[in-house]
Amino acid sequence: MVFLIFALKCKAMRFSQNYSALRLVFLFLSGLMLLFIVAPLLGLFFSTSLPNLFETAKDTQVKGSIALTLGVSALFTVLAAFFALPLAYLMARKEFRGKAFLQGLIDLPIVLPHSAAGIAVLGFIARDSALGKLAEALGLNLVGSPFAIGVAMAFVSVPFLINAARDGFQAVPLRLEQAAQSLGASPFRVFRQISLPLAKPSVITGLVLMFARGMSEFGAVVIVAYHPMTTPVLIFDRFNSYGLEYAKPVAVLFIIICILVFMVLRLVGRKNNKV
Amino acid sequence: MLKCCELEYKVGSFHLKDFSLELQKGDYCALFGPSGSGKTVLLELIAGLRPLKKGSIFIDGMDCTHMPPQRRPAGILFQDYALFPHMNVFDNIAWPLVIRGLKKLEIKQTVTQMAEDLDIVRHLSRMPELLSGGEKQRVALARTLVIHPKVLLLDEPLSALDAPLRDQSIQLLKNVSQTGITILHVTHDQAEVDALANRSFAFEPDHGIIVP
Repeated sequence: MVFLIFALKCKAMRFSQNYSALRLVFLFLSGLMLLFIVAPLLGLFFSTSLPNLFETAKDTQVKGSIALTLGVSALFTVLAAFFALPLAYLMARKEFRGKAFLQGLIDLPIVLPHSAAGIAVLGFIARDSALGKLAEALGLNLVGSPFAIGVAMAFVSVPFLINAARDGFQAVPLRLEQAAQSLGASPFRVFRQISLPLAKPSVITGLVLMFARGMSEFGAVVIVAYHPMTTPVLIFDRFNSYGLEYAKPVAVLFIIICILVFMVLRLVGRKNNKV
Repeated sequence: MLKCCELEYKVGSFHLKDFSLELQKGDYCALFGPSGSGKTVLLELIAGLRPLKKGSIFIDGMDCTHMPPQRRPAGILFQDYALFPHMNVFDNIAWPLVIRGLKKLEIKQTVTQMAEDLDIVRHLSRMPELLSGGEKQRVALARTLVIHPKVLLLDEPLSALDAPLRDQSIQLLKNVSQTGITILHVTHDQAEVDALANRSFAFEPDHGIIVP
């Protein structure tokens, strides 16, 4: 009996040591936060039947929109990287007048209402714009094309890549770049073989974030191209035209695909990060 | 071999002016100065990592004043060694040879020979983070020496080492010096290079003078 009381006391002490009042409050609040994120998704999943989901997966319009969304977002993420990474490197390494202003400019698409971003992109690619006129001379109409979708996606998502890559480059000790230069490497080789590999985890995170943000974009994309439909636009279209029940399976399917894509990207990223 | 003529440079509160120095081939010169006196900045100026305001630098008779660091015939060994953390020891030493376009076999032979000379063969496949201070120093030295610099700039190379390792490193630098390379060694500790330097100076950047 004495032993039992002693054991219980020990357990209570250990519990009070491990779970202070503050920790319990934090755990409770964290739980609520996680529930806030997970509950709507679980509700969506449980309210969609499997046969309905399989039928949606066979729908050619759904398949086409998912392929378009993933493909355009991936392509424009890669294309944007060629311009975003040098900019991120300059922002990390150089001090110049107006740098804070430039940083604000880079962050602007994050704070803009996405419909406004869409209007801005539309003005950039419309027929009466310089780019639009050039495309028209080549017999192309940019508005309502996958190109327009890609530009809208990149416009709202590229700050995530620039900022993540900038943080990564900033974390690379300048000394390593100087050592590389003193060993005979050109600045470009230093960037390619020293700075970029060392900043790789942040760059990959930035690429994944940009890709994710791009493919989930609705506001800007719907303004520049209602057709061909990306999946977020298709979900909206089905909801608007046929109601919630028709939009749900498409949304669930897209969420499942997004989760799978991110799991793969994260795994690849983690594998690459092991230097 | 190394000639610095009236160098002038200003950054923050550091002001180097009218700094001149001339070293002959095979000289081992020590520059003393307290921590924060700008000794590292001087090495960076000679290596081309900072742009000079005034003055000129000649290495092996060649005007290097406006030459980018990658083209200067000088090697610099940083205080923290600056080994590339994403490459193993072999790749660290081989990297300067790879960028010079040497063939794989030649690179392997050169790196192995250098690793044998500096007694780091057993570490060739290890990552820098797993090396001790003394081992890191040897790897960094090997990486600098494979490019056969005319002038070797040493930035407090012994300061991070404990006593036994320091003795080993002094012997190592003595061996390197005997190959005929010109060495400029900056330190805040005069005793550090008593056994090494054939010339030594006090570094006083603000007054623009060097006191032998």
